[in-house]
Amino acid sequence: MPMYKVKPVSPADIKIDVPSCMYKSPNVHGHGMNCGEHALQNGEVDPSLKATVDGFAKTVTTPDADLDASTPSPGPAESVFKGTADLDSLLGKDLGALRDIVINANPARPPLSLLVLHALLCQRYQVLSSVHVHSSVSAVPPPLLSCLGPRHIDSYARQRFQLGFTLIWKDVSELQMKFSTQSMCPIEGEANVARFLFRLLGAEPQDPAAATQMDCWIDKAVFQLSEGGSKDRAAVLRSLNAALGRSPWLLGQEFSLADIVCACFVLRAGQTTSAPVNVQRWLKSCQNLGHFDCVYPFLQ
Amino acid sequence: MTKENVQGAGEEEQQAQSKKALKKQQKEAEKAAKKAEKQAKLAAEQQETDEDDFAKDRYGICPMVQSQQKLDRALVRVQDLTPEKAEQQIWVRARIHTSRAKGKQCFLVLRHQQFTVQALLAVGERASKQMVKFAANLTKESIIDVEAVVKKVEQKIESCSQQDVELHVERIFVISQSEARLPLQLEDAVRPEGEGDEEGRATVNQDTRLDNRVIDLRTTTSQAIFRLQSGVCQLFRDTLINKGFVEIQTPKIISAASEGGANVFTVSYFKTSAYLAQSPQLYKQMCICADFDKVFCVGPVFRAEDSNTHRHLTEFVGLDIEMAFNYHYHEVIDSITDTMVQIFKGLRDRFQTEIQTVNKQYPSEPFKFLEPTLRLEYKEAVAMLKAAGVEMGDEEDLSTPNEKLLGRLVKEKYDTDFYVLDKYPLAVRPFYTMPDPNNPKYSNSYDMFMRGEEILSGAQRIHDAQLLTERAMHHSIDLEKIKAYIDSFRYGAPPHAGGGIGLERVTMLYLGLHNVRQTSMFPRDPKRLTP
Repeated sequence: MPMYKVKPVSPADIKIDVPSCMYKSPNVHGHGMNCGEHALQNGEVDPSLKATVDGFAKTVTTPDADLDASTPSPGPAESVFKGTADLDSLLGKDLGALRDIVINANPARPPLSLLVLHALLCQRYQVLSSVHVHSSVSAVPPPLLSCLGPRHIDSYARQRFQLGFTLIWKDVSELQMKFSTQSMCPIEGEANVARFLFRLLGAEPQDPAAATQMDCWIDKAVFQLSEGGSKDRAAVLRSLNAALGRSPWLLGQEFSLADIVCACFVLRAGQTTSAPVNVQRWLKSCQNLGHFDCVYPFLQ
Repeated sequence: MTKENVQGAGEEEQQAQSKKALKKQQKEAEKAAKKAEKQAKLAAEQQETDEDDFAKDRYGICPMVQSQQKLDRALVRVQDLTPEKAEQQIWVRARIHTSRAKGKQCFLVLRHQQFTVQALLAVGERASKQMVKFAANLTKESIIDVEAVVKKVEQKIESCSQQDVELHVERIFVISQSEARLPLQLEDAVRPEGEGDEEGRATVNQDTRLDNRVIDLRTTTSQAIFRLQSGVCQLFRDTLINKGFVEIQTPKIISAASEGGANVFTVSYFKTSAYLAQSPQLYKQMCICADFDKVFCVGPVFRAEDSNTHRHLTEFVGLDIEMAFNYHYHEVIDSITDTMVQIFKGLRDRFQTEIQTVNKQYPSEPFKFLEPTLRLEYKEAVAMLKAAGVEMGDEEDLSTPNEKLLGRLVKEKYDTDFYVLDKYPLAVRPFYTMPDPNNPKYSNSYDMFMRGEEILSGAQRIHDAQLLTERAMHHSIDLEKIKAYIDSFRYGAPPHAGGGIGLERVTMLYLGLHNVRQTSMFPRDPKRLTP
């Protein structure tokens, strides 16, 4: 008789299927490989993780410095926003003349987010961009004169364009936008003008919760990051960091105006090398999109 | 009757006589005494004056300057009287702006062009009573030479341009005396309109000013206006010369009317008649065909338009530009607008004193502009006007009220007082205007506006003799009269464009004045031929 009897920990009648193949290597000649199979082989047991991986794949297609191999850089970035906007309903009936948006900005505080939005608008529409210096300002550094890019070849024929974007460097205390002086009052403040221009791209979040969140982030950027003290700035950077830890962009999976405005304000505040990790990664992602190229000449 | 009685009577008579005689004598004596007294007094006074006028050789009226002697005396300008010259004894030549006596002192304000300074003459060891009296009685506008010591003042003299100093007069001489009664008072001529009405003080109306232009031009405001106008002309020349333009002079007596028959002056020319040029248009173009490439000219322009408006003159100074271009007439527009912007910048940076002086009498908003200049198309202008409630056809010309409204709309949206309107309808432009290549209803022509009023009308010119002939026939113009003009394009002509501005109108609009006669020294209009 044995001294001790150990109770069996597993039922005795389990049939174990022992695999006969140790590793399965991918077929280099075939196509349409399902990456899920390799995921399985590499240790992932649960097949439902395939969906998660697909989600990650989508994240990966957003060009990022470390993983990007598909999009050749630097080149004109693909348009991020694919929505449609009805210019007639937003700007009023087209009377056969150029619809010119006039923005008066102070050369001491260039509106970086509007430069980004201008680049995006140029991808969607035929935009006639011009930069002027108002007589209230005696001189403006040359980079500010070319901030909207080179003059369009067809700029002598104003009628051929759908939209006009006229930037005037002027001695104003607050940035101001004028469009139709008869039916619209001027819009003041960089964030508000950004909201107006974003609407023209037809990419506003349809979901009210997301739209509110977007507004919330923009307000945070304006009131705390730009106008607040160092404590406010630190608080915003922390909340940005937290949000960006959960998703690649501020509103989740989609790039939006919140990212444009917040990134520009963070860049303008400076000291990006000491910003939290997720914020730095997110800034890099923004840079990789290509729309922010116009902004970098204006950062110290 | 006894002899005694007769004697007695005679004695009585004698006595009576002597009484009368006595009275008479007494009276005469009194009279004599009074006379003597008076004479004594006069003599005493005379002595006094002769005695007290120790300053006799320090004042007086100089004999007319006929170049009797060449004095090596340096005269300091009123403009240069600053605290740096304190305690220096200097000579000044200026006009008497005002003179006011107060007891033993006399305050003078001396004026030279736009600058005024206070001068003080007080009875003391250097000045006698008679000298002060003389100074107080000098007529306004007289030209005087004054030797004085410059003194710093603690309290700024607000009413003068030289606020930190005053002159203590040692010697005062009249070089040219003015008549006592002036046709207009300079202080009234400089008073702003509103102030005049409020305080019940006089202002001078335009006709009086123009009739007595010599005196009106002496005011600080007029001096400032014409100095600024001189600046406009100089900046125009300098900018164009720097761009490689050549200045040309064109004839003003011509054989055929250039712009259109109606508004031209005829002069008798020996046995026939000739016309005074309405614009140097034809000759500018001929210079381009003669390979001068870029030309400009400054000269008089004569328009016999019976318009009695605030902005029309029959004779004015035209600043005209014509330029050959490579491929597109916008090259010329860019050149012209850049010239205008350089003029505005030059005025803004170097003539602030003059602008402020004019604003004191005629307040206005400072002139605003954009660089590069804003260029709108005619269709946009029509759209803007329609949005503002104006009803007009797409190819209709802009009326003056519409132009003004458009100016206001553009000012509201772009905050600029100067802009270009491009692509006018062909129907409203002269026959030599090049039609638009893509739309025959429009043309390659443009107008430039300052404060909502047109200052320049220009276009790409037709440089092909064939097309020019067609367009002239379309406008029913007698080809014989313009044969020389058309011929100039037959031997190779470069594509060219240009335009012209009026000096007086540009100055008027820059300063925000309301009548072009204020910026024309001796204006000519249908009702005025002198001075």
